[in-house]
Amino acid sequence: MQALLSFDRAPPFGAPLRFFLTAPAFAVLAGLLLLWSGPDLFASRWTPEALALTHLLTAGFMLQTMLGALFQLLPVVAGANMVRPLFVARLVHVALTVGTLALVAGFLTYEPLAFRFAVLFLGAGATLFIAAAGHALHGIPATSPTIRGLRLALIGLAVTVAFGLLLAASLGWSLALPLAQLTDIHLGWGFVAWGCALLAAVGYVVVPMFQLTPSYPGWFGKHFARFVLGVAAVWTVADLAGWTLPSAVLSAAVVLCAAAFAVVTLSIQWRSKRAKLDPTQVYWRVAMFSALAACALWLAASAIPALAGWQGWPLLFAALLLLGGFMSVIVGMLYKIVPFLVWLHLQNLGRGRVLAPNMKKVLAETHMRKQMYAHFAAVVLFLGAVVWPQGLAYPAGAALVLANGWLVRNLLAALGVYRRHLVQIAAVLDVPLAGAL
Amino acid sequence: MEKKNVKVIDARNMEPPEPFVLTMEALDQIGPDESLLLLLTREPHPLYRALEVNGFTYKTERTPEGVVEITIWHKA
Repeated sequence: MQALLSFDRAPPFGAPLRFFLTAPAFAVLAGLLLLWSGPDLFASRWTPEALALTHLLTAGFMLQTMLGALFQLLPVVAGANMVRPLFVARLVHVALTVGTLALVAGFLTYEPLAFRFAVLFLGAGATLFIAAAGHALHGIPATSPTIRGLRLALIGLAVTVAFGLLLAASLGWSLALPLAQLTDIHLGWGFVAWGCALLAAVGYVVVPMFQLTPSYPGWFGKHFARFVLGVAAVWTVADLAGWTLPSAVLSAAVVLCAAAFAVVTLSIQWRSKRAKLDPTQVYWRVAMFSALAACALWLAASAIPALAGWQGWPLLFAALLLLGGFMSVIVGMLYKIVPFLVWLHLQNLGRGRVLAPNMKKVLAETHMRKQMYAHFAAVVLFLGAVVWPQGLAYPAGAALVLANGWLVRNLLAALGVYRRHLVQIAAVLDVPLAGAL
Repeated sequence: MEKKNVKVIDARNMEPPEPFVLTMEALDQIGPDESLLLLLTREPHPLYRALEVNGFTYKTERTPEGVVEITIWHKA
């Protein structure tokens, strides 16, 4: 049987894959940076090394995987087809990679030229992606919470990038801007109005599908992204206008939005029909608890002056949210997306005459599970290093390198299965498949 | 369309791509007077396109409990 999935809509494998393979390399670099800098990194959230490490994880790891996933998801779940997706993906990928490296170099050297390069490349890459994705989504009726959520998340990305570029430009061209205030706005939009809104939009589809849970409640899907963006926008205006009390209340509301997503996700995960949790589910569950802990810490620091005065709390917050939250959930999703894409493309290329391998054989669960434990060890060591930098900074760096090196190895193993099957397909069908990846 | 159901696939507790694979395998076995009933928790849009390409037709109904029932048979 000529079994076809939605191949007319799926972009070439190379479009998302280049992002998925580059992302863990940035996380390895983050580990190496920690090994190089040692305990000094943890002196405050503003040390050059802390800023560089944060952006290796956010612009390097998170943004790469998020944009890569969107190249795949926009056409498949929203029917939003990009024009020349592989060409756009290549350009965005190069711009994002060079821009992130320039930004990190900028933080480590405070060389204005590096920040200018970062502004140029990150600005160009993000603008191209937002324009291409926005064009693809234009005219698509918002028939599902996912489509509505994707649209609003793109606005969240645009605002996050705009504030980020402004900050980098102020360092590149010595502009007198309120850096601390703009950084908090950049962070709020990045974590909640972009990161959490995107995760929710994608989660509405992938959590019930791959984790065998009930759907997210209708009211949540309908209102979440709109509410998050609305609160973030009003908070930003209040903060920039200097309205201290409304700004404090609204920033707490932004944090509570993220907490609400984690609570709702945990509640539907609890009702999963799967008897034994697979690595993706464990990753999601740990991520949601870690995000909740980050939100609780943020609220506690707002209420308790003694905690707010401790230099370490923003680092602990960032570690819980970035490493324990976003990175966990992203790796968990990669472990579904990559094997699924290998299966999907092989199924298509085999034209029903060469069967695609079982998804479970594309990436063995034992390898995923071992990598997952390495990741959790890295998270725990990093959290410990915030409290006790002298003792745990180096083990945390080593664990970060190990966990993400392992992730690269696992993804390359899945790619190896794909390549071996391609050879088999080429032999059986007697057709060249050089352009298949 | 009154066909004799030869097989029911309850894929409500299955993870992609298993429902798709099982359905396509089962469709290989059904005759012109037979049909297949697939039970899911969501509409399988990718499957619809595959069915059209492979010469099948289908009817989708949603029960009050939220079960999506797709009856599939050969195009006349």
